[in-house]
Amino acid sequence: MILRANGIRKRFESRWVLRDASIELQSGECVLLQGANGSGKTTLAQILATLLAPDRGVVEFDGVPALQKRQATRRAIGFASHRPLLYPGLSPLENLSFFGRLAGVDGADTRAADLLARFGLTVFARTPVERFSRGMLQRVALIRALLPSPRLLILDEPYAGLDDEGTGTLNGLLSEANGRGAAILLVAHERERPGALVGRFCRMHEGAVESSS
Amino acid sequence: MNETSLTPRWWNPAGRALWVTAVALVLASWWAAATFAPVEAQMGPVQKIVYVHVPSAIVTLIAFGLTFAASIAYLTTKQWRWDAIAASSCELGMVFATVVLISGPLWARSAWNTWWTWEPRLTSFLILWILYAGYHVVRSSIRSASRRTISSVLGIILFVNLPIVWKSVEWWRGSLHPRSVTMTGEMRETLLLSMAAWIVFFAAAMVSRLRLEWIREAALERA
Amino acid sequence: MILIDVIRKDLRLHARDARFLATLLLFSASCVLILSVAFGPSFQDPAREAAATLWAALFFAGVLGLTRSLELEGESGGGDAVRLSGADPYAIFLGKTIANFLLLAGVFVFVLPIASVFFDVGDLEALPGVLGVAALTLLGYAAWGTLFAALARGLKARELLLSVLLFPSLVPLWIGAVKCTHALWSGGSIEPVGDWIKVIAVADVVGLALAAFLYEYIQEASE
Repeated sequence: MILRANGIRKRFESRWVLRDASIELQSGECVLLQGANGSGKTTLAQILATLLAPDRGVVEFDGVPALQKRQATRRAIGFASHRPLLYPGLSPLENLSFFGRLAGVDGADTRAADLLARFGLTVFARTPVERFSRGMLQRVALIRALLPSPRLLILDEPYAGLDDEGTGTLNGLLSEANGRGAAILLVAHERERPGALVGRFCRMHEGAVESSS
Repeated sequence: MNETSLTPRWWNPAGRALWVTAVALVLASWWAAATFAPVEAQMGPVQKIVYVHVPSAIVTLIAFGLTFAASIAYLTTKQWRWDAIAASSCELGMVFATVVLISGPLWARSAWNTWWTWEPRLTSFLILWILYAGYHVVRSSIRSASRRTISSVLGIILFVNLPIVWKSVEWWRGSLHPRSVTMTGEMRETLLLSMAAWIVFFAAAMVSRLRLEWIREAALERA
Repeated sequence: MILIDVIRKDLRLHARDARFLATLLLFSASCVLILSVAFGPSFQDPAREAAATLWAALFFAGVLGLTRSLELEGESGGGDAVRLSGADPYAIFLGKTIANFLLLAGVFVFVLPIASVFFDVGDLEALPGVLGVAALTLLGYAAWGTLFAALARGLKARELLLSVLLFPSLVPLWIGAVKCTHALWSGGSIEPVGDWIKVIAVADVVGLALAAFLYEYIQEASE
């Protein structure tokens, strides 16, 4: 088992956004987390990715509390969300090469170029990202998450802004990731886009996770 | 909701006891300053302001030292009560620092006929005052959970800064301020009494202030 | 090496923002101009007034530069991505500090001749000394500045806070820099102010050491 979160509680000022949320992810599986706006999906995703710390509860990665071996845990997680998490003044290649090197990826440049090609962005590889459309930004952000071939992928609304082609490329890459044993958590509204990729469904309601298969 | 269930049972009685002691000691120290301590030969009656000025300075440093220690404790344990102690201590420290900055110039005016002299200790205190005011401004402008961490980091940085700033300002200006307060006899006893009084006062105020923090934290938890 | 990557990334981003660089340089030139007008038209102690002007201009320009450098991280979450990459926080801090140092050094090299000319001070003999002092001071400024800027991230009135918090902490650095520069420009020798070099060096070391302990906490406190 790669990821386990138990009894996660999180409050923003005086509002409890997560009340006792628990979830588990196994190697090689793809889980879809759905829920209404404001149910706490994004917050939970951010906590699982170690972007935020919970007020209560523990997130364990490979059986070890994530916050204990923070840097090592983060190197094994790929995260994408609403914000691009990129430097607007740099080109996709520069962005990806930088983050790839930070994550300790060998041959970051080549891998970045490959992924850019798969998403059809080779032509824009050297254009500063601030000139990109929403859909293009989304694709670069996804590449950033996928670049280090992480063991755990947490993607919050990954299909937003993607056309059918992009969706297909993403699903292909996710399927490959699953194939090499990575666990994937997709946070999204609808089931159609990921399609057959998803093995398990969960729903968030008022800060807690309800599971179904 | 029963308030006393939030704090340890001995909290309120201890607070009351401290306040009674504090008020008694402060009144005693004022009486001693007015009647017991002799009038200083050179500067006259206004010199007695030292019995407020010096203890306030000592308490300020104790308060900010406590903020420093509590900040470290918070970062290592992540228990909110340490951050509460750090912030409360800092607040009270500011009050005493203000007393220092008001009593200092008053003394300077009467003794050396000038409001501000740029002498090192007072200047360092001014810088201190600004720094810790900054602490409060930062703390109150963050609403999220990171508030505690950032305040603690600041509490550590500012205190580590103090010796460097102090020494620098001292070297920067010669001293008009008496180098160290060497007192004997009744003066010394009055000074010690004043210091004890204001330290107990600080402790009493901390107890009351922390109770407020407890209540606030409990209210947020139960929302 | 992460350090080099971070430096390169920051410098690249700054280089692409010509508008910001121009603003920064023009602003620092204006500072020098305004202060020379305030001191002039005839200067009583040109070396002293020039040193004061130079370092005042550098301080304010530095706040601008540090804030901008910080903004670059927040704009589309680049800073968060760096955090999530699992790279060593201290290496990131050092990288940002060196990048900020280089930016400040650039401003210094631009402002130095302007100040020299306006106040008619400075000769080639003193130049190595002046540059050495500047390097040491700006390193400290970059280190403390990066530390505080990271703290102030996400706060409203960031620049205001940075000045309020930063300046008092930089007092030792600034007094040292002005005194040493003054000495170099008037006597050509650093001997009388040898102590101040040590103060600057200590402030530098303390800043870098504090960051080693605290930067990770600061990085994590961002919501």
